[in-house]
Amino acid sequence: MSSQRLMSWALRGYVVVFFAYLFLPLLVMAAATFNDSRFPTVTPWDGTTLRWFGELAADGGMWQALANSLIVAAGVLVVAVPIGIATALFLNTVSSRAKPFLYALILSPLLTPGVIIGISTLIFWRQWGVSGGILLTVLGQATFIAAYVMLMVTARLQRFDRTMERAALDLGASQWQMFRRILLPYLRPAILSAAVIAFLQSFENYNTTLFVVGYDTTLTVYIASKVRTGLTPAVNALGLILILVTVLLAIAYEVKRRREARVPGV
Amino acid sequence: MFRQLKARFGGPLAAAILALLGIWLIVMVTLPQLQMIDYSLRPNLLPAQLGGPEDRWTLTNYVTLFNNEIHRAIFFKTLWSSVLVTLLTLAVSYPLAYYLAKLASPRQAALCLLLLIIPFWINEILRTYSWFIILAFRGPLNEVLMMLGLIERPIRFLSGDAGVMVGMVYAYILFMVFPIYNAIESLDDNQVRAARDLGAGTLRTHRRIIIPHAKPGIATGCIMTFMLAAGSYAVPALLGSPGSRWFTQIIYNWFFEGGNWNQGAAYAFLLLILCIGFMSLVMKVFKVGLGDIAK
Amino acid sequence: MDASVELDRVVMRFGDFTAIEETSLAIASGEFFSFLGPSGCGKTTLLNIVSGFLTPSAGAVRIGGEAMAGVSVNRRPTAMIFQNLALFPLMTVFENIEFGLEVRGVDRKTRRATSERLLALVALEGSGPKRVTELSGGQKQRVAIARALAVEPRVLLLDEPLSALDLKLRQHMRVELKAIQRKTGITFIYITHDQGEALNMSDRVAVMSAGRIQQVADPMTLYRSPQTGFVAAFVGENNRLEAKVIDRQGERVRLDGGALGELSGRATAPTPLANGAAAALYVRPEHLRPVAPGQGLEATIEALHFEGAWVMLETRLAASGEKLRVQLGHELSRQHLEALRPGQNAHFGFDPEDAVVLPDDGGPALDEATGEVVEAGHV
Repeated sequence: MSSQRLMSWALRGYVVVFFAYLFLPLLVMAAATFNDSRFPTVTPWDGTTLRWFGELAADGGMWQALANSLIVAAGVLVVAVPIGIATALFLNTVSSRAKPFLYALILSPLLTPGVIIGISTLIFWRQWGVSGGILLTVLGQATFIAAYVMLMVTARLQRFDRTMERAALDLGASQWQMFRRILLPYLRPAILSAAVIAFLQSFENYNTTLFVVGYDTTLTVYIASKVRTGLTPAVNALGLILILVTVLLAIAYEVKRRREARVPGV
Repeated sequence: MFRQLKARFGGPLAAAILALLGIWLIVMVTLPQLQMIDYSLRPNLLPAQLGGPEDRWTLTNYVTLFNNEIHRAIFFKTLWSSVLVTLLTLAVSYPLAYYLAKLASPRQAALCLLLLIIPFWINEILRTYSWFIILAFRGPLNEVLMMLGLIERPIRFLSGDAGVMVGMVYAYILFMVFPIYNAIESLDDNQVRAARDLGAGTLRTHRRIIIPHAKPGIATGCIMTFMLAAGSYAVPALLGSPGSRWFTQIIYNWFFEGGNWNQGAAYAFLLLILCIGFMSLVMKVFKVGLGDIAK
Repeated sequence: MDASVELDRVVMRFGDFTAIEETSLAIASGEFFSFLGPSGCGKTTLLNIVSGFLTPSAGAVRIGGEAMAGVSVNRRPTAMIFQNLALFPLMTVFENIEFGLEVRGVDRKTRRATSERLLALVALEGSGPKRVTELSGGQKQRVAIARALAVEPRVLLLDEPLSALDLKLRQHMRVELKAIQRKTGITFIYITHDQGEALNMSDRVAVMSAGRIQQVADPMTLYRSPQTGFVAAFVGENNRLEAKVIDRQGERVRLDGGALGELSGRATAPTPLANGAAAALYVRPEHLRPVAPGQGLEATIEALHFEGAWVMLETRLAASGEKLRVQLGHELSRQHLEALRPGQNAHFGFDPEDAVVLPDDGGPALDEATGEVVEAGHV
């Protein structure tokens, strides 16, 4: 028994080390924001400053990239969420001998490296005269994000009791009314979560975007180019802000989830 | 298929569902991939030569990799390093996934999962950038090591493969932890207790009960991590160059510096084959199907 | 308003499997009609054909004289109460009840008035704003009834609606369902595998087995005069004794019971019983009573189950070794009961009026685990 306890404590220690490993880099990055040094570092500490926030705010390129990222994310939502929902409904409804093949095809964007999705999208649209830019970025990202939406909607759809559908029809609803009033409200939480995930996936995407973004710049592309060329702690300031927004979002999400968990039965 | 959809959703909705699915699978997934393969099989020609006698299928672009020793070396390095990253990530993730699924109280597990997700809502670039700062020549890691007297001179972490691999393990850990956590969590506690009760030690319990049950999760995690590592551009670009180049960087150069898309498409297709090959191997070794992966 | 339901030579096939063999049946307007049978007998399939969820492979369904072919589920004058109720969990009680009216475009005020009236009918006044997830099992049941009634169906279809409730509530809801049926005058078609429910509430019952209706009759007739071996075994409990026909005079049939000697009972089936033909005599445990030694059938008591109001004896016939179950009620004195002990021999007799003679069908198929009747015999 005591060896088991030892293992258990060793594991606990490991978990602590693990989370330190997970967060230490972010803390270092955040701390470097306040270092009054030309380079982003914490060693040596050249004095505390807030001037990198000011420099960040004055950087027009950053604001343009942020705007582009938001436009792309919105576009991805518009394209990927309906596709993801439709695919989930399709998989939940249809039984056919072609289904395993279709299922593999539907999952394939998740298992394909992002760079390849970017490359194939870029090549395919060239023949139609569409070159890299915001439009292609939306299409490229939506290609695999739709599959994530599909997975999340499917997870909830599988728990749907289809007698509800029959009951609605039996009470005189048309199939559209059934979809609108019964199925869609049931799927709503999953669709909202999927939309949040889709937004984040789009916002943080780099590998696919890199190939299809053309001369436009999204925030991640902007950050990457800053890191590689004009390295300044202003990037850290941006990182810190993104971390804070993320943490706030995560807390809000958790609070909402706990509140919903208290509503019984649904 | 339309008949089944129509029976459930009515004609217009069924048509919309099939249309969305069709556009996605045909226009966004299949045709671009086929086009990429087609590109990879044609020589890089001037616009005037397109459709001419030289515009026909050839394996020239694939032969390039075979003949170019540097590219070939980078291709295999990418393969081995990605396998190594996958194994390292697995080793780091498994104990955590097990702890979260079986030892932590529900409250602790929920908190840990939330903490896990936070770094992954921040993009890969920033995650990698934070390691860039830590591993810098005059960065905190070198400072700490020197202060402790473990080294006398700072180490150039950022020019070899080690930095890239550390960054990748960090960047993709979540994609390993979550599938394994989900798989272990679905294991009935009583099975573990029964194994213990029958005298199995900790290691044997893991080897005979928990790991076999977690197989689909482990397979999923490995496939995802390998795919992300082999297909990563950000991490090697930030933490590796110029001393350690990744295959994706060569692909990128063909497209945007060499201006030879056909050559780039061939390399991209080889990368895709590499990932598919790894996936098939893992699925065979772990005896899992596609259905087990998407959970 | 004519709320009759007519099945005209309806057949239902799924691939090679025939779920419903050719069936014709007329259910009168305002009747409480039940389909009774073990699971898999086809009763739910029949209900789905009436409601429109399934289209029969052949034959026609008419409601109120109108053919229902081509009329989709949402246009039929029927409403269904589902086994799991299928209340909409994201809606309030009001919204659930008003759903059928809402999709028909009825205005809010009329809808609310209707739902208030129906909530009163099912004794749930004031529960309208609640979420259905807050309700108890019995309350949910009532909401489901109110929701179905809101669309003013001519026929209410009930698919084992009480099976999820506990015994007490189930018995209470039987009374209420019957009362609601009387108040509304709607035709009720009720599906159940619980004979207590079917016999208790129905005007008429159709007993089904293996896709075929075995007998349609009022509950008393089903009990007194089963026309097939399946009905005899499935409705209530019956002892089955194999014998040969000696002769028949009107209803009364004399049988040669082999080692058991001469037996006699009442013929109920229209099928002829030729002299010398194999037959089965069915006598219910509750129709057997102790008789003096030398009369009736001698049997050895193997087990005794005390149930309070009655005692069930498991015995074995001395002459043939067949099993015989005997139910003795309050008419027996305490001394008499105490004399019945496992291992002892006793004699049991019955009134031939209470025994039913049917052609031998080889006996019904039984569930191996529970011993319950699952399908009619085929010989």
